[in-house]
Parts: sequence; C-alpha cells; structure tokens
Amino acid sequence: MKYIHIIYRLLIILLVAVSCELDNYDGPDASFYGSILDYETNEPIEQDIINGTQIEYIEHGFANPITQYMVIKNDGTFRNDLMFSGTYTMILVRGNFIPTDSMEIEVTSGNNERDFIVQPYIRVVDANIQKSGNKITASFKLDQTVTNTVKGIGLYAHPEPTVGQPMNIVKSEQTLNVVTNPETVYNLEIDLTANSNLLKPGKQYYFRVGALINVAQAKYNYAPAVRIGI
Amino acid sequence: MKSIKIIIYSILVLLFITACSDDILDKRPMDKLDSEALLSSPEGRVSFLANLYYQLPIEDFLFRPQGGEFNFRGNNNGKYLPYSTDEAVHSEANVAGFLHGQNELKWWEEGYKLIRDVNLLISVIPDLTINEEERNTLMGEAAFIRAYSYYGLVKRYGGVPLIKELQIFEDDIESIKVPRSTEKETWDFVLSECDVAINNLPEDWYDGYNRRPTKWAAYALKSRVALHAASIAKFWNEAPLSGPAVDQGLVGIQASEANGYYQACILASQAIMNSGKFSLHKPTPANPQEAAENYREMFEDPALAPEEVIFLKGFSIPGLGHAYDFWLQPNQTSNGAPHPGRMNPSLDFVDCYESYNNPGQSSPIVTTVDGDVNNYNGFDKTRTYLRFNNPYEIFEGKDARLWGTVVLPGTVWKGKTIVIQGGYVKPDETARIEVDESIVVNGTTYYTFGGSDYTEYSGFKVLGGRMTKSGFSFKKFLSTIDVPPELNQSTNDWIEFRYGEILLNFAEAVVESNHNAQTEAAQALNSIRHRAGHTVDIPLTLENVLRERVVELAFENKRNWDLNRRRIYHKDLHNTVRKVLIPLLDLRVDPPQYIFVRRNAARERARTYLPKEYYRYIPDVGASGLVQNPEW
Repeated sequence: MKYIHIIYRLLIILLVAVSCELDNYDGPDASFYGSILDYETNEPIEQDIINGTQIEYIEHGFANPITQYMVIKNDGTFRNDLMFSGTYTMILVRGNFIPTDSMEIEVTSGNNERDFIVQPYIRVVDANIQKSGNKITASFKLDQTVTNTVKGIGLYAHPEPTVGQPMNIVKSEQTLNVVTNPETVYNLEIDLTANSNLLKPGKQYYFRVGALINVAQAKYNYAPAVRIGI
Repeated sequence: MKSIKIIIYSILVLLFITACSDDILDKRPMDKLDSEALLSSPEGRVSFLANLYYQLPIEDFLFRPQGGEFNFRGNNNGKYLPYSTDEAVHSEANVAGFLHGQNELKWWEEGYKLIRDVNLLISVIPDLTINEEERNTLMGEAAFIRAYSYYGLVKRYGGVPLIKELQIFEDDIESIKVPRSTEKETWDFVLSECDVAINNLPEDWYDGYNRRPTKWAAYALKSRVALHAASIAKFWNEAPLSGPAVDQGLVGIQASEANGYYQACILASQAIMNSGKFSLHKPTPANPQEAAENYREMFEDPALAPEEVIFLKGFSIPGLGHAYDFWLQPNQTSNGAPHPGRMNPSLDFVDCYESYNNPGQSSPIVTTVDGDVNNYNGFDKTRTYLRFNNPYEIFEGKDARLWGTVVLPGTVWKGKTIVIQGGYVKPDETARIEVDESIVVNGTTYYTFGGSDYTEYSGFKVLGGRMTKSGFSFKKFLSTIDVPPELNQSTNDWIEFRYGEILLNFAEAVVESNHNAQTEAAQALNSIRHRAGHTVDIPLTLENVLRERVVELAFENKRNWDLNRRRIYHKDLHNTVRKVLIPLLDLRVDPPQYIFVRRNAARERARTYLPKEYYRYIPDVGASGLVQNPEW
C-alpha cells in the first residue's frame, strides 16, 4: 500500500516534470524613453495620461503584427522599460500636435533615448491660475501654430496632478470655434462655493487650463498644472 | 491441398474487392436533414424561419449588452442597455456604460452565422416547388431578415463585408475572404434589402402566422434604418475619426448624403402613416390619469394595442420568458424575488418631461424657493426648500407618461403604496441621508427610510441592491399581476416597431432636412402628445422632437442608438455622473412634510464616452485581414 503511494507520487512528479519545456525565449531587454518636444521652444508638450496622445508602434518580423500603444505622461515624457530590441515602425497621430510621418526606429538592447520633435497645435502661454476670494480664476493666451479654429477652452480641477479634460471632478469650459488672436487674454473661473461638495475647503487640488484645436481626434493642449490649497 | 488454399484466398480477395459499393462513404446522417430536404416541406420552412427570426438582433428584454448576447437567459444581475445611457442607474453596481470593452455590444460571428443561414435559404428558393405567391413571400421574409442583420452590423461596425450569396468553401481560404464595403455601401445595401422585403411581403398574414413581418414591418425597418444613416452623415463631423478605416470610407458618410437618407425615412414613414392600418393606442384620453394607464398597459400587454404594434417578438412559457419582473420590480412588490429594484430611472431623465402648464419645455423638478436646479451639493439648511404634504405632490401636473414609466415615491403600484424616502431632517436642522436610523419627535417614531423593516419600503437603504438609489423605481413593461420569483418567468411581448416610433422618425427627418411636410410632421408630434394627455399643440422644432423621443420611447432600448447616431455621447454624457432626487421627511415642521434634494447618485463614478466607441471593435482581423476600426 505504501509503495502504491510512492509510485503515484513518482508518477505525478514525472508527469509534471516532463509536461513543460524550459521557456527559452529571451525576455524584454530594452528601455525606450524620451520626450515629445515642441520644435520651436524645445519644451516638452503637456499631455493627458488617459485618453491622451499615444505612440503607436509595430514590431517588424511578424506576419500579422498588431499595433501597440505607448502612453505619454502628462509632462510630455514617456518610458517603456519592457521593450524587445528590434526594428519598429512608430507613428504619432491623433495627438495635440501635427501628426508625424511613420518612422523606422531601431531599438537596441539596453537604454534607448529618443525625443520626438513635433509642432503643437496650440501653445497655452502666460497661464496664471490663482485663488481669489471664493473663486479659482485662470487667465491665459493661446498661440496657435495652425490656421484651424480653436473649438474651446477649459479649466479643470482634480486631486491628482494628472488633471485634464478627460480627468476632472470640476470643470469650467467655454466654446470658441474661432481662430484665436495671440494677444487675446482668456479668462475662466470655478466657483468654489457652488462646488463645495467636490472641492472641499482645506484640501489641495490641481488646476490646469487647456484648449482644443478643431482637428479630427485631436487632444487638448495644456499649460502645466498648478497646485492650490482651498 | 495447396491449390485449395489458393482458391480460398482468391475467393476471399474477390469478396473484399467487391464488398464496397460506390456510395458507402456518402452516407447521409440519420439524425440530421440537409437543407434541401428541410426546406422542401412547408413544416421544415416554418421551423427554419422560426430559427432565423429567433436569431434576429432584436434588443429586447433578453439583450445583454456585455458580450452583446441576444436571448440571454442567465444571471445578468439586472443589467440592461439603459444603464449605458442617461436613462437610469443600477441600484448596486456602477455600470459605467457598456461601451468600453472590445466585447461589449459585440455582434459579429453571430451576425455572419445568421447571414449564412439566410443566404442558404435564398439559394434554394428558386428551386422549391411552391406557387409564385409563396415564393415571393419567402423572398420577402429572407430580405427582411437580411436587412435586419446587416442593420445590426452596420450600426455597430460601420461598413462591413457584404456577403450576398452563399459561400462555398473549397480548400482556398483566400477565395472566400471578402473585404469591408464602405459605410455608405452597407447602409445602401440594407435599404435595398428593405425594398425587396417591402415589394414581396404581404400586407397581412393569415391567422396563426400573424406575427411574421408584413410589408409594414419592412417599411418600419426602412424608416429606422434611413434615419440612422442620415444621422451618421449629418453628425459625423461632430466626432470625426482618423486612420485607414476613415481614409477608405469604411466608417463615416459624406454630409451631402444626409438629405437623401432623410427623404427615404420620410417616404417609408409616410407609407405607414397613409396606409390606414395603424394608429396610436387610445389617442384621445379623457384626462392625464387615463393617459398614464393607456400608455403603461400597452407595454404590459401589447395585445391590447394591435392598432399601434407593427412588429413584435413574442414571449411565452414554455418557450421564451424574460426576467424584467424578477430584477426590476420595486422591493415591496418583488413577490419573493431575491434581487429586485435594479433599474433606477435617473433624475436627468425625469427632468425631461413637460408639465401640462408649460407646454414645449422640459420641466426640471424644482425643489427650492430659489428655483435653482443646477445645485447638486446635497442638503443645505440655509436654502429654503419647497414643502409638500405627500411625496408625489411635487410631480403633479407632469406628463402622464412619467407616471406610466416610473413608480413615483408614495404612489400605489400593485396595490401597495411604494415608500421611497432617503432620510429626514431632524428638528435641530441636521439631515440624516442614506443612513438607517430612527428618531422620536413629539412621541412619534420616524425612520429615515420610511419604515422600521426593509419590507416596508423600496428606497435608499444599501441592502443587496434591492432599493432604488435614484428616488424612482421602474414601472414600464412590468407586470401588474404576480410573477413567480424565478428568472425568466415574465411573458409580455416585446414591441420592436410601433406606430409612435414611426411618427417620431418622420418628425425628426422632416425637421433635420427642412422638408416641406412641416404641417404633417407637427401633427404627428402633437398626436403623440395628445395621447399623453396634452391639450396644447407645440411647434415642430428639433428640441421638441428630441425631447418627445426621450420621453415617449423611454427604456425601449432606442436611447443608446440615438445618442450614438446623433453623436451626443462624447459631448453631453462624457465625464458626468447621473443625478438623483432624494425625498426627505422634514421634521423641522409639525406635522412633518416632504422636501426633496437634487444630488449626484451615490456609488457612481463619472462615465467616460470616447468618440472611437461610436464604432465597435471588429474581432479577429488578424485572420480575416479586415481593416480594424479607428483606435481599437
């Protein structure tokens, strides 16, 4: 009886041992990182982390490759430490800048730094967001680099620094549908009293202003977020 | 001896060689029929067609948006399509719409399976030994099914592969791959199939088969399809997409095409309106109470309204039952079902209804003296609330259909007064909302939810999702008689096309295309309002037509596609939380009275609606080689 148990155990071990081969594929070996930079100012272009601009990339060497997507952080930087070295076709489309042509990029084992130089649709400049009385007021100018109309502008609030149009708890938006003048100062405000259940006194929130160009699937352009205690 | 052996062997070999006849490998299965055998008998045709009708993508009581399943009879936790819209919230889960995942609203393999089946039918029709009339009718039914199927595909995916003939597979997989047609070509094909159906289907069916589609059902389908296509053309630029699918026209239609489709909708609708076959159910009620009941009864039992029903899907036991009564009755009338109260109509939706004294305007529920309906900050003791003697007085004078569609707080449903109360305001001016408490004031005990035990009320307590969290309970489609407390015991039929929708399609098409039938469209709009107890006509404007559509077709699973085709989701619903109305007992006054607080729904996150979700993810493009929709 005892032997039967031992035989069973041996059998199971044998089965388990022969059932799998050692995974002999190499793991990800490359890091790919960099920034999305404005071709004139050389500053990173502010983005949205959810439903924002993404880098689309396709790895070469497969019959039916699927498109993969890399998220860009709010400050305009991106980083993927789990890339496979190889040749990729990358393209930046549906963002808040003029789409790039597709680029063939060699990713080698180890660190690969790569900045993408693009032309943002709009620069949100001279942004000033502050608390005055029981209101958050924002003033800014729009410097657009294309001749399309600007659909609208918005001031967004959220407890996280990733605040933006797709991620806010309170917003104040205005529809424009005009080609903007770089000298025009735009003003938006959020009434803190009326939103006291969402923006609680004594807490810190992030505020960010942005503008949206009238281009299919374009994303907002922003000024950096500002943290304000209310 | 040796020669005998040889002879025996020779005989054996001979036997083996001659043993097989030619057709031994062509045996026909004993338990299956091939298509010709099946379709050559009348009974076979009926049962084959019944199966095709069963597969139609009708978004009825058994439609499960997650996974896009039709005729779903399992446990769905009462999750239905209205949650993806602004019509309702779920009492328990934050159902954040059904639009984000790849599988949601999916209907792809099932769609092409149905199309293959109907193509099989079409391929044998010319060879059947039946008379011409029967042949035409069969062609009409097949075209109706095919139009309905491609409509189910095109509204989800845009342009799709048009497979118009039965495909025969002979080794070469490449030969049966069909690329996507453009979105316009696909809509045009659906409309042309509608025309085939219209030209071939009978005006009436003989007894026993009168639920099969008539010529009028085909017109109704065409009316709906053409309006959808026209809207895509007109509103594409509200949420334009980009990428290969757009460049090749697989999604999107030129704005210049819109008027042609509106015209097609107008003509199809007029054909029904001028047929003299249909009218609104009880179009001239004596008073709003009667109007509310006339409206409600039509959905509990469509057999009461044959003059309004154009096409319906039958439910019966044994056969096909559904679970609306199991999941959606208020807690107090659940008849023992363990998980009632799921569908909670939202305040956003209730606000849309008109008041009889203010025709042509949505009348949001005003709760305070200052009349501010945009304050959702909860109870504020510095504001002056309007006080009411009972919990439904605040809704008096509202459109009868509100009373027919939702159970309002304090009203009687199935012989019980449905108690929906979210809390109270204590004499010291502090409010206790959505907590289970009681207080004694002047010797009387008051409970936050209006009763001491959960069986005595239907709102706001967090108890396994049994209670409404919106202040309203669902009523439309529910049964007034008790239904056994098990899944799929409800048997009311689903009206897929009714005259009311056709009138609204017509009015919308006329307004949007500025067609010259303005007077006729205004009459259509106002006839529906008169059925709802209105007496004052309102002008034909886009706003009036759209509001009428929201309130008349509420919960008929039309709203999701209206928000889609008019590209409203990403503009008006993106990043919003549904609103609710909380009735409170105000103990600051004696005797206590009711006040109401407008607020965000509890346990709900803001919902996201992205433009790419107007077109669904296409499965398995790696194998089929099709162009994927943008951003999926």
